[in-house]
Amino acid sequence: MTSPCSTNMAQFRSRATIAIEDIQVQSALDGATGRFHISHDKALAEMPDSAEMRDHLKAIRSATLARLGEHLENFERAAVAAGSQVHWATDGTEANKIITKLAQERGIDLVAKTKSMATEEIRLNQAFLEAGIEPVETDLGEWIIQLVEEPPYHIIAPAIHKTRGQVAEMFSQVTGQDLPADDIPRLTAVARQLLREKFFAASMGVTGANIGVAETGSIVLVTNEGNAEMVTSLPPIHVVVMGIEKIAPTWDEAAPWLALLARSATGQPLSIYTTVITGPGRVNEHEGPEEVHIVLVDNQRSSYVGTTYEEVLQCIRCGACLNICPVYREAGGHAYGSPYSGPIGAVISPLLFGLKNYEALPQASTLCGACLDVCPVRIDLPRMLLELRADEAEENISPRSLQFIEGAAAYALGGERLLGWSSGALRLLQKPFVKDGQLNLPKRLNPLGKRQPPALAKKPFRQLWEEEEKNWD
Amino acid sequence: MESPTRVALCTTCIVDQILPEVGVATVKILRRAGCQVDFPSEQTCCGQPFFNSGFRKQAAGLAKRTIEVFENQEVVVLPSGSCTTMIRLEYHELLADEPEWQERAEKLAAKTFELSEYLTHKLDWEPAKKAIAAKPSGEESVSDQETRVVTYHDSCHMKRMLKLGDEPRQLLEATGCSLREMAEADRCCGFGGVFSARMPEVSTAMTAEKLRQAEETTASTIVTADPGCLMQIRGLSSPDGPLPRHLAEILEEMTR
Amino acid sequence: MSARDEILGRLRKQNGEASLPAPWRSRRQFTDLAARFSEALTAVKGEVRRAADLDGALEEVAQILEEIKATRGIVDDDPLLDKIDLAKRWPDVNWFTVGRNEGDLRQFAAAADVGISIAEAALAETGSVVVSSGPGRSRFTSLLPPVHLALVPTSRLTPDIFTWIAGHDRQFPSSLTLISGPSKTADIEQTMAIGVHGPGRFVAILYES
Repeated sequence: MTSPCSTNMAQFRSRATIAIEDIQVQSALDGATGRFHISHDKALAEMPDSAEMRDHLKAIRSATLARLGEHLENFERAAVAAGSQVHWATDGTEANKIITKLAQERGIDLVAKTKSMATEEIRLNQAFLEAGIEPVETDLGEWIIQLVEEPPYHIIAPAIHKTRGQVAEMFSQVTGQDLPADDIPRLTAVARQLLREKFFAASMGVTGANIGVAETGSIVLVTNEGNAEMVTSLPPIHVVVMGIEKIAPTWDEAAPWLALLARSATGQPLSIYTTVITGPGRVNEHEGPEEVHIVLVDNQRSSYVGTTYEEVLQCIRCGACLNICPVYREAGGHAYGSPYSGPIGAVISPLLFGLKNYEALPQASTLCGACLDVCPVRIDLPRMLLELRADEAEENISPRSLQFIEGAAAYALGGERLLGWSSGALRLLQKPFVKDGQLNLPKRLNPLGKRQPPALAKKPFRQLWEEEEKNWD
Repeated sequence: MESPTRVALCTTCIVDQILPEVGVATVKILRRAGCQVDFPSEQTCCGQPFFNSGFRKQAAGLAKRTIEVFENQEVVVLPSGSCTTMIRLEYHELLADEPEWQERAEKLAAKTFELSEYLTHKLDWEPAKKAIAAKPSGEESVSDQETRVVTYHDSCHMKRMLKLGDEPRQLLEATGCSLREMAEADRCCGFGGVFSARMPEVSTAMTAEKLRQAEETTASTIVTADPGCLMQIRGLSSPDGPLPRHLAEILEEMTR
Repeated sequence: MSARDEILGRLRKQNGEASLPAPWRSRRQFTDLAARFSEALTAVKGEVRRAADLDGALEEVAQILEEIKATRGIVDDDPLLDKIDLAKRWPDVNWFTVGRNEGDLRQFAAAADVGISIAEAALAETGSVVVSSGPGRSRFTSLLPPVHLALVPTSRLTPDIFTWIAGHDRQFPSSLTLISGPSKTADIEQTMAIGVHGPGRFVAILYES
């Protein structure tokens, strides 16, 4: 099973309902997002100039996208000079073909991976499996969800919805040992041992890229576990999968990016490991891969440069918007049916994978604006969601029934007389169900479930104004 | 004596049709604060529900109607943070292709205010406190005690787009309420207009979380300045939990 | 048309006005870089030892070797350690000096109890130590053993990532890593566990120089 590739309204609602009704998942979601968010606030508050730094990074991201083509060419030039090989892929299928071909040509059957949203996006693991190659995720959380064959639940914490009991059960199956659930250090040690064997056995390492620095052709990777060092140092070939927007022109632009990435994600000043890979191992060095291949993946991105959606390409994938989003915090990551969940996922999934396929996601928001508040590069996600909704209405993706209701409601509100007649009719209709001014719809008639829809007041304000306004003081 | 300020009330469609008591309270407060209140009866809806669900043509029609109804008024006051946001900030966006309308929208925006904002910043209103302190001790009824302890729910647009959060709190305290903050006062109540109907399960779960946090404060009342939030929270609140009320209603009761 | 031409062609058409802002300089100031470094690294479960000079630092190394009962150690070759005969000083430890010893570096490192590297820079704000690959230096020293000791001369301290980059010649070896604590994860129920893939113990030995 891999991630589903469409999310209509019914799918979103039923997947969200599973999460809402699962007490364990709810408490895991509350715990993780709450902790991340509190640490995030603390980390930013520690800096006297965090607001200005965010503006600065936004200016960098925006200026970089305005000349993205040039920066990509510079990146390519410097990467090649450092001994890397650069590949370009217009979409996921092309990228997967390039990568599986590299593996097949070298007779590779085991690949060690770091967690990478880009590889989730192009579903590289599935392509590997189809080509008879075994991919092993080495980020602990990502490995857990690989074992249960589920898509990531959160951009930076893929397995937050799993309990220690579930992890212990899985690891027990994998190792054939009987592992206790109450001993997280032991579970971690088991993973260390098992995955270390994989690091040594793998003949290809695959990573994403947090940043590609054009100035030096370097790839920057951040982890807390140290698995990126393993994946980029032990196997003889290192393949990087990078979205074309992840470019910093020089190290001057990469530095504030790094300074805000971990702070926004987990509240750490920096991740434990920030690794800079610049080409394969050199002749005067003692190790390192013989080949480094960088696959630049477009997958629709370039078509949004210069459009109203360009701003989402500024995203640095920190996940801060998920942690603050009241919809994500109830519905959970799987409701979105995309590797990208939460507010950023609600915007980029339809953009990357098609609005028709992900029609529910622009609707999965109250437009509360909390995501805009926390975004390190201040992406106006509510604005983008509004734009996508307008696209849905314009392109007739919205359901017929909704189009009818919206049209009828707008018509009825088009004048005070029309409003009077139509609301009068509704007042008659609701009469049998109103008790003490509250609507009490029988369950089968109530589309809202546990919540009762509001009743129209016996008399509208405009009538009260006519009748008794003089007594209001 | 100074002539009273003339204020046009834009009740909003929700208050007009569903929560008229909020409109009544708003009129009373504005009068107590020295305003002469008008109610242009041609008003219907600002168009926000349609704008937010992507139906821009319908939204633009209602926006234009609202502009026509209110543009000749001196001041427009709304008991709603989100409808104020619509007129103040979103009309500009919505009417971007029609510069003439956009200009008229900007003029209206400049004289449109949310209720607590208007009371605080334009009228410098100093409400007379309900005379609880004047009563001999021991005579305070339980209900007096209870109405005073409130928790305030920040509605999203009002807090994040209009940056109004202190104003309603100051007013509540000035009228003698004691405020007890929720863990996340500005966490969305789950309304979001058409969202609450299209994704009812998630919407209701969000409201339940809001009510849980409100209950945690032990306040007797959860106050909001947005009719949308009020309607949403009422739809799930229970008789034993905190009672959802509009800011205008509380201010009105506390200054009788 | 190649994918490259297609992508670059599309982007070229959308070229906009762009000027990158001047490099960022933090307003945050630290009066005592060593103190800040210690505070930051300790906060993330890293350890910091302070010494007056290189001899003092080696005393700290000795203590830790004793503490962990080290029998195999991998050490980066550095001019700082030229005058020190490891085998003579710690005869109970089987030493592998990168670039000097023959044999399988990675197998040795994988089975070593401790790796000792010399920081080429250290960032005070974040408690980070910079190590890199190169002649006499191995990626594995700081990665494979369960304990990593980094010798950090105080002269190599810089306030933060911005000052570090400002002073960097932008010549990068194949691998450079900023290490800001022991390897860790919180992927199981948000519970912190130390030493997932990299060393579970990371000690920075700061000495005056």
